[in-house]
Amino acid sequence: MISRSWRNLCRRYSQTVTFRTTESSPSQHNEKQIGLFYSVNHDLCKQLFAYGGLPKSFAKQTKTFTETAIMVRQPALDLIDCIKASDFNKPVIRYVMYGEKGSGKSLTLAHLLHYAYEEGYLIVHVPWVSEFLRRVPRHKEMSNSQTREGFVDLPLDVAAWLLHFKTQNQVLLKNTELKISRDYVWSKRESTVAGSPLSQLVEHGINRVKYACDVLDALVYEIKQLSNSKQCKTFVAIDGFNGFFCPLTRLHTPTKKKVKPEEVTLTGSFLELAKNDWSNGVVVVTADQLALPDDHQDSYLPRYLLYKKGFELLDPFVPIEVGRYTDKEFLSCASYYRDRLWLRGPPEIETELKFTSACNPYKFMEQCAPL
Amino acid sequence: MALCFSVKHLFPISKCYVKNIILNNVCKYTSKNVPTTNHALDNMTDWETLSKKKKISKAMKAYLERAKEHDEFMKKQEFEYKIGKRHLANMMGEDPETFTQKDVDRAIEYLFPSGIYDPAARPLMKPPEEVFPARKAAEFDEAGRPHHFLFYTGKPNFFKLLHDGAEHIQQAYNFEDKVIRKKAVPDPNGELNIDNSIWLTKEQLEQVLVESITDLEYDNFKLLMERLISLPYAYRHKEFIEKYRKPLVTQRFALEIPKPSYDDEGRAFVTTYECLRKKARGDVTIRVPGTGKITINGKDLTYFEDVQPREQVMFPLFFTNMQDRVDVECNIEGGGPSGQSGAIRWGIAWGLRSFVDKDMLEKMQVAGLLTRDHRRRERKKPGQPGARKKPTWKRR
Repeated sequence: MISRSWRNLCRRYSQTVTFRTTESSPSQHNEKQIGLFYSVNHDLCKQLFAYGGLPKSFAKQTKTFTETAIMVRQPALDLIDCIKASDFNKPVIRYVMYGEKGSGKSLTLAHLLHYAYEEGYLIVHVPWVSEFLRRVPRHKEMSNSQTREGFVDLPLDVAAWLLHFKTQNQVLLKNTELKISRDYVWSKRESTVAGSPLSQLVEHGINRVKYACDVLDALVYEIKQLSNSKQCKTFVAIDGFNGFFCPLTRLHTPTKKKVKPEEVTLTGSFLELAKNDWSNGVVVVTADQLALPDDHQDSYLPRYLLYKKGFELLDPFVPIEVGRYTDKEFLSCASYYRDRLWLRGPPEIETELKFTSACNPYKFMEQCAPL
Repeated sequence: MALCFSVKHLFPISKCYVKNIILNNVCKYTSKNVPTTNHALDNMTDWETLSKKKKISKAMKAYLERAKEHDEFMKKQEFEYKIGKRHLANMMGEDPETFTQKDVDRAIEYLFPSGIYDPAARPLMKPPEEVFPARKAAEFDEAGRPHHFLFYTGKPNFFKLLHDGAEHIQQAYNFEDKVIRKKAVPDPNGELNIDNSIWLTKEQLEQVLVESITDLEYDNFKLLMERLISLPYAYRHKEFIEKYRKPLVTQRFALEIPKPSYDDEGRAFVTTYECLRKKARGDVTIRVPGTGKITINGKDLTYFEDVQPREQVMFPLFFTNMQDRVDVECNIEGGGPSGQSGAIRWGIAWGLRSFVDKDMLEKMQVAGLLTRDHRRRERKKPGQPGARKKPTWKRR
């Protein structure tokens, strides 16, 4: 056993590693590192992606590979360049990432989140919209909204998301500079006064699950205010954004009435963030086929996936396509898999795999699994 | 009558009334013309002169009767065939004198189109010698004594063959002994080439011998012949051996490889039409030189969702190592992914013939890339859940 691991170690470090870059800060990444992997610090990974953010299959793989290695790809670099070059006094610029299934939209988003974290953005990250609207576990906590007539609350989901928000921004929230601008009265005894820190608002939402949705509304408003007043800069990342626009959710009220996405309170809050009536922020959303029901997956282009409603809401936006692997990326990925012993066998199989997977990152990973 | 002679076993009964009209006419025609055709049959067994001899055994008598019957039958069939041919020629509006067997086949196919799967079951009109198996001539003289020394084995021709074979082996041994005694070297030119031929099959051997033989007997025949050709001087008996061997058909496809044409960019291309498998139909164009780009109905390889059909498509390319030297364009419709990919696979392999060398061509042939898959979906049978699947057996 020892000799085997020794042999593996020798093999691993005897050759020059061509698929890895030591540059672990996304802000320093440039064209030279395209197609190379960088590993994300484990603690940071736990902080950013503990409640989702990495696709499930990739999360499983990080466990197998004992590291979180993300490939530096062109779309992420483009986006970073755009963000660097943009003027933060102007209204926020919306970026829409689109691409075929399994082409790495979520991982590009993860890369960008890492960048945003490094740059000290306040991160508002929704890991997967369909988690709220389309995934219905046996006991989905639902209640009618008390503040808004005819709306539905998902208090537990929102509370969980607030926790996610808190962990992602634990450094920034310690800063007491971030103060809220309005008084919020939740009930006779409970209220949050103006001037108390933002973290208190979040804490309230987590502790008093009943008010989580209202807290979310308030939070969105406060974040916008803070950004406008240059107290912080905000990075909004919403994965599977088009899930907000599908005709029906899978939820239904106790009276068996189907719920539309716009009747859920959290939809309104997050859509508020996607509008460009505020500044000093970045909005990155993805349009994904998987976020929609099976009968609406014919094309991967944003106009089709976002429906008319979503397209009009986001317009104007910067479309960014996340494509399949290029030859260089494919080779680097294959050698990474070989290094991790995920792919073995004669070198010819790589050309075959390139063919059968059609350079689709997810398909490639899946097809290597039994090899 | 004439037309119906050999066709009558095969025609559907519903056409009988048409035949009867012809039949009546022909019968009249026949009775008038019988005397004139007699001279053509002189080469048949002369049973009349034979039967005049007084001392005749019972076996001979029975044989003569049978032979007479058979000869008459054949004569009649022959006559009917000729008449039928003339009728057919008239029906087709051609000259009856120059109407050949080929024309007959064509006319029959035209007048009686048949969709029956097995060609042997389709209507036919052939000369009677081809339809009825040959019969043995008399095997004994008037006194009832057999001509053949192996007559009482029941299969004289077959055992004569074995006898001859054994004799040839013996001769080969003797010759070898002689050569050794003289200390001579064997003739280097005398080589027996058996690579391009095979032994006659059992059915073919039966036809040659005019006797039916059992499997065991056929095995014995092969054993004997194998032993003969394994001897060093077997080439001296080449003539005997080759009588019982059949040459292998040379591979036909090698001759018909199309020359690629050139498009306006100067690239060579070959289009294969009618690529079929299961219910899928399509055509495949191969362009050389290319970069390994594959277009299926306007999409790339992602047209197929699963790995299996993608592998099918790329297999001929990887087999010939042409994956990044050609471009492939396919139009395919009908069927499912497996059928479509199978059709494309065949089309690519068939088109690649123009761009590979002969060695590779043979390898492709051996790998089965150039073979059409003619299998179709098997129909469901009534009374059972599938084509072959039977209902679950239950005691009660």
